[in-house]
This record gives sequence, C-alpha cells and structure tokens, in this order.
Amino acid sequence: SFGLDKQPKTLYLSDLQVHHGSCNGGLYSRPFIESFEETPMLVAVLTYMGYGILTIFGYLRDFLRARKIEKCHIAREREEQKDFVPLYQDFENFYTRNLYMRIRDNWNRPICSVPADKVDLVERVSYDYNWTFSHTGRVVKDVINMGSYNYLGFSENKGSCADAVAEVTLKYGAGVGSTRQEMGNLDGHEELEKLVARFLGVESAMAFGMGFATNSMNIPALAGKGCLILSDELNHASLVLGARLSGSTIRVFKHNNMQSLEKLLRDAIVHGQPRTHRPWKKILILVEGIYSMEGSIIRLPEVIALKKKYKAYLYLDEAHSIGALGGRGRGVVDYFGLDPTDVDIMMGTFTKSFGAAGGYIGGKKELIDYLRSHSHSAVYATSMSPPVVEQIITSMKCIMGEDGTTIGKKRIQQLAENTVYFRRRLREMGFIIYGNNDSPVVPLMVYMPAKIGAFGREMLKRNIGVVVVGFPATPIIESRARFCVSAAHTKEMLDQALSAISEVGDLLQLKYSRHRILPTLDRPFDETTYEECED
Amino acid sequence: MNVGTAHSEVNPNTRVMSSRGMWLSYLLGIGLLHIILLSIPFVSVPMVWTLTNLIHNMCMYLLLHTVKGTPFETPDQGKARLLTHWEQMDYGVQFTASRKFLTITPIILYILTSFYTKYDRVHFVINTVSLLTVLIPKLPQLHGVRLFGINKY
Repeated sequence: SFGLDKQPKTLYLSDLQVHHGSCNGGLYSRPFIESFEETPMLVAVLTYMGYGILTIFGYLRDFLRARKIEKCHIAREREEQKDFVPLYQDFENFYTRNLYMRIRDNWNRPICSVPADKVDLVERVSYDYNWTFSHTGRVVKDVINMGSYNYLGFSENKGSCADAVAEVTLKYGAGVGSTRQEMGNLDGHEELEKLVARFLGVESAMAFGMGFATNSMNIPALAGKGCLILSDELNHASLVLGARLSGSTIRVFKHNNMQSLEKLLRDAIVHGQPRTHRPWKKILILVEGIYSMEGSIIRLPEVIALKKKYKAYLYLDEAHSIGALGGRGRGVVDYFGLDPTDVDIMMGTFTKSFGAAGGYIGGKKELIDYLRSHSHSAVYATSMSPPVVEQIITSMKCIMGEDGTTIGKKRIQQLAENTVYFRRRLREMGFIIYGNNDSPVVPLMVYMPAKIGAFGREMLKRNIGVVVVGFPATPIIESRARFCVSAAHTKEMLDQALSAISEVGDLLQLKYSRHRILPTLDRPFDETTYEECED
Repeated sequence: MNVGTAHSEVNPNTRVMSSRGMWLSYLLGIGLLHIILLSIPFVSVPMVWTLTNLIHNMCMYLLLHTVKGTPFETPDQGKARLLTHWEQMDYGVQFTASRKFLTITPIILYILTSFYTKYDRVHFVINTVSLLTVLIPKLPQLHGVRLFGINKY
C-alpha cells in the first residue's frame, strides 16, 4: 500500500520554480530535481523588440519585392494567373521569407560521415543571404556532435554491431519488400520482438519500421470515438497526430502538472462525454518519458498512482528515455524503480539510444496480438529492414550485457556521468538550463531571434555542431539551443564543448541565470489524493 | 522550425499577447512613441498627445483588426486564415486578461489625451472617432463580423 502522507513535501521556490523531490508520500525513491527558470523581464522585452524590428523590416522587404525594386527569390504564381483566386496566402510564408531565411544556414546541414561523437560536415557558402547554397568542395572535419540523439554512442561504423549488421546485409539484403502481414515477417523480427519484450519486462512487444509512424498509426487502433485522450501540453507531433487521427476527444493538461491531470480526470469521469453525459469508453493518458525540447522527465510515479485510482490507461512514449535513463538502461520505468506492468502501453523508438530506426510497442499479450492485426502500420507499412533489425538486436544485447562484455553497462554509467557533469558545469557558468538534472537532453535558453542564428554559427566556427530552435516551434520568448549528451563523448570533448559554449556565451551575453535562492516556503498544494489503492 | 515541433499548441498566435513581458513592452512602446513625438520642436503638447492617440489607435487597428491569419503555417489547415489577431487571441474566448488589458489601454490613453488637450472641441472629435475605431471591433458581438464585406478574404 502507499504511504498516506497527505502533506506533500514539495519545496516550492516561487521565482525559480525549482521542485525538490521526495514529495507525495514517498512515491519517489530518489530526488526529483528540475528547474525551469523564468525568462528575465528585460530579456523578454528585448526579444519582443527584436521580433518587432524583424517584422517591420519584413514588411519593408515584402513591399520592395512587390514593387520589383528588390529581386524576389521565392516561388510565386505566374503572371497569367494574377486575376485568379490565389492558391497560397503569402502572409503564411511571411515568417519563412523574412526570418527563417536569414538564419537558414543553421539547419539542414549536410553531413558526410557517421554521426558519432564527432561528425564531418559539408562546407556550404551562400552568396545571396541563404537563398541558395553552394558547396565549396571542402569538408569540415571532426565537428563535435552535440546535436545527434546518440545517447549510448551506438551510432558508429566500427565494432560488433557494425560487423553483425554487415553479415546480415550479405545474407538477407537491405530491403524486405513486403508488409508484416504478407511476406515481410522475418525470423529476425520474431527474435527482435522477443528480445524487446524481455528488455522492457513486459509480456510481448511489436516492432515497426518508423518511430513517428508507430505513434501515429497505433493510437488510432487503440482509441476511437467515445474515448478520451488526455495529452500533455508538450507532446511530440507524432502523438498529437495519432490522437487527432483516432477521432477521440482530446484534452490537454499542463506540462508535467499532476494537479492539472487529476482535475481533468475527475471532470471527465464526473461529467462523462460532452453532450450525452454517457461514461467514456476509455480514458488514455499520453505522456512521454523525456520531453526532448524541455529536457524534463515525466513524474511517472504520480501518473501511475493517478491512473490506478481513476482506472485510466497509460501510454508512455519513451522515445528519448529508453536506454538513456535508469541504472540498467531500461528507461524511465527503471529510473523510478517502478513495475513495467503498471504501464499499459510502453512505446519507444530505436532511433535514439540504439543507433537504428523504428519503433516498438510493448504491453500485455492480448494488446500486442490485437495490434498485430489492427494496426495500420502492421497491415500497410513495410516492415523493418534486416540490417536495422540486426543493429537493434546487437545493441540491445550489448546494453543488457548478454553479449558477454561490460560495454553496455559502462556506456550507461558514462552517459549518467556525462549528463550530471555537463549540466552542473553549464549551470555554474550561469546559463539558464531547462529540465531535470538527470536528463541527457539539455536545452540552453537563447531567447532572442538574432542570438539563435549567432549561437549556431559561432559554435560551428569553434567546431561544435548544435541544434537551435526558435519561434514558432517554441513559445515566442523561449528560443533555445538543445544539446544531447552522449556516452561516446569523452570528458575532454565535453570540456572543449563547454569552453566553447562559455566563450560564445560571453560573446553573446547568454549567461542570464540569476541563481537567486529564495528561502524555501512550504506551499500547500491542492492535494492530490493517492490513497485507495485496493491491492 | 515549424509550428508543433516542440509543443502541441496549434496556433502560437493565440498566446502571444499573454506572454511574459508583452504588456510591459506594449506600454514601453507607447511611451517611446510619445517621447519621439515630444522631441519634435515645433509641435505643441496637445498636438503631441492627439498624435500619440491617433498613431497608437491606427497601429492597433492595423495590427489587431486588419491583418488576418498567421505568419507561419499552422497544423490545423488554416482555421485562423480569415481571423484577425484580435479574433485569434485565446482561441476566441472573450473577456480574458489580455483582451481586457488591450481594451482598457486605449481608453486610458484617451482620458490622458483629453486632459492634456484641455478638452478642446476639435481635438475631442478627432480623438473620440479614433477611439471608437479601436473599441468597436473589440466588442464580442463583432467577433468575426465584417462590415460591408471589407477585409473579408
């Protein structure tokens, strides 16, 4: 039974929003420390000013382009169709034309080597302000790769994984040429699914060829009209698409906020469906293990407690957390020390920690058997190709230690050490970092539109490749650069990256953190009641 | 960078006016405009206040009630394409905090302007007409209404 401590021991620092864990009656076995420091007011005002100036200049340039004073590079409708109803609304492209094009060289950079800890980039240069690029023919070698989802370092072209994959390619070829239900069910797939089920600790699992398609094709098979989907605010596009395709009612709860989720659950059960007030056919909670743009880890013990109390189903998308969290690398369930059978549907992808491609769904045998015949992906999509299957099998066995070496265990430990070190150093330097202390995804706040482009370019000058992202992909005042720590990074590489980040941070004045530790106040929450667990 | 990469907010435009620091930036913007107009040497103080009021209301009308749609493609296949920014705010929910703030600010500006122009008749007429152009589109009854087909598509 659960500890029935009604007073949550959450220490709530109001300004910095730092949650120190072991709250809610001993549900957590380890401290849950995450921080999302608020945007400083001056920075917010300057950010709006930046976007305002860019908008004014955007209108000016559009005016010049319309009057043919300036050359227009973008595709437009033909002169003969001037009197027709326009096909496109050119205002919808305003942002792309006037803001994104200015800093477009930070994205879609072509790479020409395996994206391991270091990567080679094709050097590009633009003579017309990023409207067109031309390759100089040179290659920027050994750029430290802080952008790839390479958490355990399996993205490599040497080693046991690569050898096994080469063997399998020679035996089976590269393609499958059919769906799972027709001729595309190889023995490798069967072996993979049994291995995945063992890895996760569930009864059965099924693997699909594409991670995005796993979500968008399987959620419609699980939920339909008359069902309710409770989805986190910051869920990935694949989950949102799957939820929309299913036709269920979707309600969004605030990110990682258990009070918001409980309120929605209570309202849903009390009021039922919108007009008829009939009970919902099922309630499905969609959450992710690690949110890749925030670096936050889901409060899984609380979600499971809520799900048990209100008898809802839980769909956990462990795209970024499988392999990256937990003492044995089994994901966020292992990280919190919970029972995998508590999560009804465990979904994940092989893209991030296993260096392959594809997704899986794990759960009870009846569920997976149902999905085998009812999922769009199983019926219509081509199955995973054999080299990819072999890569996953080899890397998973390596993580589990079944290949006879301790490489997997060492990598998991290395990743945890790297994460803690990287985050600690960045915080000490004075940057604003979002997310949980244990998450290998590290978003560093950049805020202003010009600094987004400047940060990406300056880091590339210092031979470090980063991913930057801004509005409208993030809220308008929360543009960020996202680092993905990898087990393949050595401490020297991290130090090199950190000194470059510090240098660029001083140059661009990115060290916004005010580190103000206010005296802790015990703020009483609206209580979440997690008792009534009938065993 | 596309909408929906990092969050499931369908139309980020709905949240812009309630973001942190937006109200302060807006007030600072009005202050900046006023100071710039005050620095013109030959313009009298009542004239400056009337000009501030007029320019502010004109910009507000243009940005909030004329420009339609979003400057980026949204994943909802353009539900907001024919909606002005005022109609998009908070997904059309009326009487939210940002809507109240944006309604009250022109009124306060009008009151200050009336005071500083010493309630002169000509200034009064101009300022009142200008205030009405900005207040009437904000009425909930005029949500989605296009008079005489102006600005319909």
